[in-house]
Amino acid sequence: MNKNKYLQDFTPFFQPRTVAVIGASTRNPHALPNVFMRRIREFGFTGDIYPINPTAAELEGHKCYPSLADTPKPVDYAYIGVGGGQIPAMFDAVRDKKPGHVRFAHVVSSGFAEVDEGRALQDELVAAARAGGMRLVGPNCMGLYSPRGRITFAEVGPVELGHVGVVSQSGGLGTDIIRRGRNRGVQFSALVTAGNCADVTPTEFVEYFFADEETHVIGLYLETAKDGRRLFELLRQNKAAKPVVILKGGRTQQGLAAAASHTGSLAGDDRVWVALSKQTGCVMVDTLDQFVDTLLLFQSVKPNVAHPTKRVALFGNGGGTSVLATDYFSRLGLDVTPFADTTIAELAALKLPPGTSITNPVDCPVGTLQQDDGRVAEKILDIIYASGKPDALVMHLNLSSFVGRAKPEVLDNLMDAALRVQQKYPGQAHFMLALRSDGEPRLEERKREFRAKAVARGVPVYDEMTNVGHALAALAAHERFVHTRARA
Amino acid sequence: MSANELISKARAQQRTSLDEQAGKSLLAAYGITVPQSLTVKTAGEVDAAFGKLKPPVVVKIMSPDILHKSDAGGVKVGLKSAAEVKDAINTMAASKQIKAARIDGYLIEEMAPAGQEIVIGGLRDPYFGPLVMVGLGGIFVEVLRDVSFRICPITRIDAEEMIDDLKGAAILAGARGRQPASRAAIVDALLKVGGEGGLLMTHAEEIKEADINPMIVSETAAVAVDARFIL
Repeated sequence: MNKNKYLQDFTPFFQPRTVAVIGASTRNPHALPNVFMRRIREFGFTGDIYPINPTAAELEGHKCYPSLADTPKPVDYAYIGVGGGQIPAMFDAVRDKKPGHVRFAHVVSSGFAEVDEGRALQDELVAAARAGGMRLVGPNCMGLYSPRGRITFAEVGPVELGHVGVVSQSGGLGTDIIRRGRNRGVQFSALVTAGNCADVTPTEFVEYFFADEETHVIGLYLETAKDGRRLFELLRQNKAAKPVVILKGGRTQQGLAAAASHTGSLAGDDRVWVALSKQTGCVMVDTLDQFVDTLLLFQSVKPNVAHPTKRVALFGNGGGTSVLATDYFSRLGLDVTPFADTTIAELAALKLPPGTSITNPVDCPVGTLQQDDGRVAEKILDIIYASGKPDALVMHLNLSSFVGRAKPEVLDNLMDAALRVQQKYPGQAHFMLALRSDGEPRLEERKREFRAKAVARGVPVYDEMTNVGHALAALAAHERFVHTRARA
Repeated sequence: MSANELISKARAQQRTSLDEQAGKSLLAAYGITVPQSLTVKTAGEVDAAFGKLKPPVVVKIMSPDILHKSDAGGVKVGLKSAAEVKDAINTMAASKQIKAARIDGYLIEEMAPAGQEIVIGGLRDPYFGPLVMVGLGGIFVEVLRDVSFRICPITRIDAEEMIDDLKGAAILAGARGRQPASRAAIVDALLKVGGEGGLLMTHAEEIKEADINPMIVSETAAVAVDARFIL
């Protein structure tokens, strides 16, 4: 079985027992390889750490070894952050003394095929890695974040093992994805920065993520796809069994030029990616925000493949916001259409104050929402779920409008009501929250608090309705693909 | 000649493309409808040949030196008799541009039944391999770039969705009193070009670009009226 092959092959990478580090400095404790050694210990890595250095006795409290071939145990994962020109000779030592002694070499150094003058060196690097019997990840990247292996290149990263597996060809974006994801509640099964992908390709990691039980959704930031055909065949064969979200850099002619100088080879053409998405059900997104927003949604909700999302109910405060969101959602192919007469009659029976609109969008001014100290939301939501039966429900609160107009607990009650009702109707409708604010520090603080509360209960939280719209449209596209193509 | 022989013959002659007749034979080898045709070397052979075809016919110049036949005055349509065909050939042969070119002969071809023009194309992506394209003919492709691509091999659903992707899909379906174009015939042609075991997959290594332009689609059939293959 292929699946087991990828799980087996990549386990030493994601869960190494031994880690070698090349490039640590005796004088500069801030050098990245030094920082990496300290970080993985802090992150809970309990395996052996082997700094490689022919002259030093000890680095960061670990005994040094003169070469990769001299470590007492075989090396599962080597973190290599040393001048690129020195690396091939280091691999040659492995070939000469103990071929196969190193399983994975993650080369973070740059100066390879991302610049013209580094092409030959990259070819040399790949040849040396192969001759030494190791797989090469990178070069020109930042490293690996793998909670279950207790390996992290990033300064911050949740220790908790999550379900989102990411491959990013860019190291800097990889860091952004971890940091922004953390603040939004995204938790990762792993995030690999893969740079120029000189040997191991993103497609191979996708193979692993499809086979890996911890990974439920796969995210890719790609600049090149030299094995595009293999990626196509893999995605087609898996029929979107796990949602795959792709952020592709270099889809325009101008972006293409930037990509060529950045990661080292020409990218495909935009229409190939549109075709890939239509034929395999992978979801293409255009921005980093959409990427994180979409991963968060797939992490939080179970796609409803029996009944793809179409009808969306909006509930919250802000008439203009409701109108704009209705337009925006409609452009994305989602319906925000009025409820049936019976539902409207039930909402009317609540006798909400004038200025409240109850047809969908349900637009309640602050005055309405603070009735009963905010508990009125529970009654409204109950009717929307039980009678309106939308495929998805988006609740939006403009935190700014509550300032000076309602008791602080009103917002808490609204939030609690929303979360309670959502749990009363499990699996009936996707539920998402937009907490809108104006950037005022006190409001941002409250927003952070509410977001943590919601995320803990599996409710994804967004900053604006447009973000919700894109994520929901991506979910709907995935559901439709599986519904029409994969269930037969 | 088999499909492989057609391609290797062109290669042996160091041609970087298939001529129209070879291109159509290649299409026919994959089950795509092409008009009945035959070739003559000179106007003198027309009388013997004409009776085998159902007029009206079209005459086209065959020359490795002439890529754009119409521009060179090398296409004449709607010819109803052997005399008209001979006239057309003599006029072509006398023209300045054609005189200067190497002439393989003249293709005499039955006219396809009236219908809507579409284009089916193919190209080889360096990373993804063969891609297949469909678009509406004429200005829709050239000016509006209303085309849809897929990675080969495509399935029947892919082919259906490619047609639906086109902004002009309603025109094919017969908008504003037009004669509808057979959707089934387009799907069938797309599968024969871009499907599993289809032309582009089978010759992925040899064919760089393919252009069936136009393909005329009536209510019942899709006929490849011109075809170019870049090797």
